Amino acid sequence: MKIKEKIFLFVILFLAIFLRFYQIDSIPPSLTWDEAAWGYNAYTLGIDGRDEFGRFLPVDYIESFGDFKPPVYAYITIIPVKLFGLNEFAVRFPSAFFGVFTILITYFLVKELFRRSESKHVEKLALISAFMLTISPWHINLSRAAFEANVASFFIVAGVWFFMVGIRKKLIFFILSVVSFILSAYTFNSARVVAPLLFLVLTFAFRNEVFRQKLNMLIAGVLGLIIIIPIVPFLLSPQAGLRFKEVNIFTDINVVKTANQEIENDKNNPLSKIIHNRRIAYAREYIKHYFDNLNPNFLFIKGDGNPKFSTQDVGQLYLWELPFFILGILFLFRRKEGYWWLLPTWLLIGIIPAATARETPHALRIETTLPVFQVFTAYGMIQFLQMVSGVKFKALKIKASFLFVGIVAFTLFFNVLYYLHGYYAHYSKTFSGEWQYGYKESIDFVKSVQHEYQQINITSKLGRPYAYYAFYLQTQPNEFRKSAIVHRNAFGFVNVEGFGKYRFNDSVNKIKNPSRKVLYIDVAGRLPSKAQLLKTFYLLNGEPALIAYRFSI
Amino acid sequence: MKRIYLPLFLIVIVASIFRFINLGEVPPSPDWDEVSHGYNAYSLLLTGKDEYGDPFPLVLRSFDDYKPALYPYLVIPFILLFDLSIFAVRFPSALFGVLTVLAVYFFIKELISHSENQRNQAGIVGLITAGLLAISPWHIQFSRIAFEANVGLAFNIFFVLFFLLGLRRPWMLSLSTLFMGLSLYAYQSEKVFTPLLALILFCVFWREVFKVSKKYLFLAFVVGFLVSLPFTWYTFTNKAALSRLQGVSVFADQTPLLKENAQRLLMDKENNDILGILLDNRRVLYAKTIISGYLSHFDLNWLFINGDLARHHAPGMGLLYIWELPFLFLGLYYFIFSNFSRKIKIFILLWFLVAPIPASITSGVPHAIRTLNFLPTFQIFIALGLLRAIGFLDRIPYNKLRIKSKYVFVFCFLLFIVFNITYYINQYFVQQNYFYSSFWQYGYKEAVDVVKKWDHKYTKVIVSNEPHLDQSYMFFLFYLKYPPSEYQKEAQSASGGFKEVHRFGKYEFRPINWEKENKSKDILFVGRPDDFPVDISTVQNIDFLDGERAIEIIEAR
Repeated sequence: MKIKEKIFLFVILFLAIFLRFYQIDSIPPSLTWDEAAWGYNAYTLGIDGRDEFGRFLPVDYIESFGDFKPPVYAYITIIPVKLFGLNEFAVRFPSAFFGVFTILITYFLVKELFRRSESKHVEKLALISAFMLTISPWHINLSRAAFEANVASFFIVAGVWFFMVGIRKKLIFFILSVVSFILSAYTFNSARVVAPLLFLVLTFAFRNEVFRQKLNMLIAGVLGLIIIIPIVPFLLSPQAGLRFKEVNIFTDINVVKTANQEIENDKNNPLSKIIHNRRIAYAREYIKHYFDNLNPNFLFIKGDGNPKFSTQDVGQLYLWELPFFILGILFLFRRKEGYWWLLPTWLLIGIIPAATARETPHALRIETTLPVFQVFTAYGMIQFLQMVSGVKFKALKIKASFLFVGIVAFTLFFNVLYYLHGYYAHYSKTFSGEWQYGYKESIDFVKSVQHEYQQINITSKLGRPYAYYAFYLQTQPNEFRKSAIVHRNAFGFVNVEGFGKYRFNDSVNKIKNPSRKVLYIDVAGRLPSKAQLLKTFYLLNGEPALIAYRFSI
Repeated sequence: MKRIYLPLFLIVIVASIFRFINLGEVPPSPDWDEVSHGYNAYSLLLTGKDEYGDPFPLVLRSFDDYKPALYPYLVIPFILLFDLSIFAVRFPSALFGVLTVLAVYFFIKELISHSENQRNQAGIVGLITAGLLAISPWHIQFSRIAFEANVGLAFNIFFVLFFLLGLRRPWMLSLSTLFMGLSLYAYQSEKVFTPLLALILFCVFWREVFKVSKKYLFLAFVVGFLVSLPFTWYTFTNKAALSRLQGVSVFADQTPLLKENAQRLLMDKENNDILGILLDNRRVLYAKTIISGYLSHFDLNWLFINGDLARHHAPGMGLLYIWELPFLFLGLYYFIFSNFSRKIKIFILLWFLVAPIPASITSGVPHAIRTLNFLPTFQIFIALGLLRAIGFLDRIPYNKLRIKSKYVFVFCFLLFIVFNITYYINQYFVQQNYFYSSFWQYGYKEAVDVVKKWDHKYTKVIVSNEPHLDQSYMFFLFYLKYPPSEYQKEAQSASGGFKEVHRFGKYEFRPINWEKENKSKDILFVGRPDDFPVDISTVQNIDFLDGERAIEIIEAR
């Protein structure tokens, strides 16, 4: 690596750190319940090695709200929580931290992928790829909140990179690769499908190289088995199946109804039973959901419909990238440089698990496809640079090629500015409701007055209030476990109806005997007639979210 | 050369079968545009005027959407032949569908012959493209309804075909400009697309054009100019026709979109955020909306799985077959990097990229009719992809089981293709009527039959015109074959356009409000189930083909 490249890489990483950490505690404006849960579980794990409900060093799952979270994110949050305290910054720190490292690894990975090619532009390609990931709205949005998917992406990129290094150098890189892939499976659900598939494809494609290193392979295999064993019983358990059933497309009964009606319309003709077979109907559904993730409006215009994953102003990728993205794909296939085939394969594999879900497209579940999109764009840009540098035409003594590059750079700058301005100036205010804004403010208020009350009744309308109360009150783990009123329903969902003097339910406003000793926190607009309003908590766009009231009889 | 005519003949036969079989029954009922075309043709035939009494209009006011008027004129001969029926109204569209398939063969052959390296491929690429168009769900869909877009597409293909032929036989250039001009009279999208296509054609082939003798060029220019002049004149001088364009464009009725933007702008101004004032500009938003509309036409789900509105595709199908997907990508890739001459590459790719432009400035995207001019570019790419794939086959190695594995591969894929096409045929010809009859505004024919049978008993017939019975008056005119000369007289102030109430003869079309209706026994009501009390006894009920109640006919008492 030349000194110039080192400087570029350093600048890119610096930019990456800035874009991921600047005001990370206040933009996004508040914690989602998952973030609060990660934080609190990390907190309790850091104190006595048990999760919030008292399971000792859980490795297969963290039960949380009954969504059985893969546990890695909670563990890697322990240290930030110890260092910075139980707050927004600490919870989001691992995501941003690994986000930055994903960029670094992307740089090395691209160099590794194209090492064999004769192109002189590998270094440039690697730098541009890393840069595209650095400014990617997709990656920035997901790095700035505690999304475990973002950490899983890091492990997958690292796994691929270690593998590619491993086939070249006979070192421990194989083992690192296996460990990374398996860690990704302990981090995020989608990775449980993507990581093994990618690993299989890599092993098959490089079977000669892999089998040459028998010892390393053996060690990697054994180690891999050892660390994957703890999760297996859970994956085979009914709880895991239940979660999957709830979100997947193959349980949609309407598909079967339509198929049956179609067969009936054909008067039960045997041929009709073949073409309207429900498996085929489900295959069609699957393809539909798969294609959803490649929807151009999702990728380039509006992004994920869920404002938590996208600002709604720009797509998952910049619109500016579109021509280079297409150019990149075309020329990647055309030039067949290095291990080019891995990129499209990776992209196609990355969407496989997400397409089984009803909610598509889904920026989070296909984040494991990053940084393939960015490498495509970077490759297209390299092609573009090569093309225009061949243009000899001069106008007003300026080389036309400079002009082209200038225009492209300017439009990129404009596009990035548009995104960042939207993100910092408007995003928090427009979507604070989506981020469950109001909990923190109301809990601060509760903290300041709670000594006056015997009980505090809190609405669960905004979702999972207990996680926020445990988080912001830094409830001692033992105290929480002792007093928590936990309900688990048939679907495995966990509902904490109260702990300490806090009670959480939907119908706070149905009050039988009003007492002066009870404080009520409810959603705005549900103030009972005789109650005394203490305080209103507003969203950042000025709409009221929560109210605190009591009865002064 | 002769060898090619048999397959071409077969392709035309297949195209005709797909387009003419059960033309009057599938789709199950005409939609409002179809009956409007039918009745206006009938009116033109008998009186030389459209429903509003305009003599020989260039643009049809119709439901105040100001359609280019060519289609009804094309229907006239078939009304003479087959009477005023849905079959007759759809006939020109189907006919031009078949002609398009035929023309596409000659067009591709002529185009590729311009490329020295690929000349020997010209016939076969043309054949496959025409064959793919013959079975294309997209093209069949709009060849089987009385919709003007299909004629517009046909004229564009003729225009390009005669242009290419004309480079060798100059007199044909006049035919080319004739069709170019005529296509403007066919469909709204053509107003944008055809000039763009002409521009592309000229930019790509200007050297060849200037080699043609001046005499023919002048003639062609004069023909084109004279044909398009009246229409262009009309379009730019008639405010009402322009209003239609404004009505469907992205600039109309974007209140919610603009409101959000206005809030942001206000915030920027309060914060003195100059950058924000610049970025949250209304124009940025419009540009984004248009690009978004454009890109929506490259959504794989739209193309292969879902389509858009129910009337634009068969249930369970998109606009292309899913088996075509790999060949589309392969063909596109191959086409771009192949040794086709640069001209052909630029011409076809620009055609492909320009086709969605008319639709993207409208709301309601993606839109399969407004982008019908995509055809036959998709089919060209798929055809090239198929040919390329066949080339790859030789690379597949022998299998040890003494079967050439490539035959197994080909067999499996052919099976899949046959399966896919069978599925489409079933979805289109059997399932569509059941699942989509409500979208096709089914029920009027049956309703009018009942009304005709009983209406001597009543002095007044009141018909609802609220969704799904919108524009019910036109369906009654069509099925009653109400004398156009009488209607033109009565309708002056009482019917037509976006009016609340339409009236002719003893028929009245307006929202039914049962509470307030005059319940005399001389009045017959035709309405939606929602218009009447649940327990009312009906003269007759008419159901959609999936069994849902469509129309209730009720005698007040």
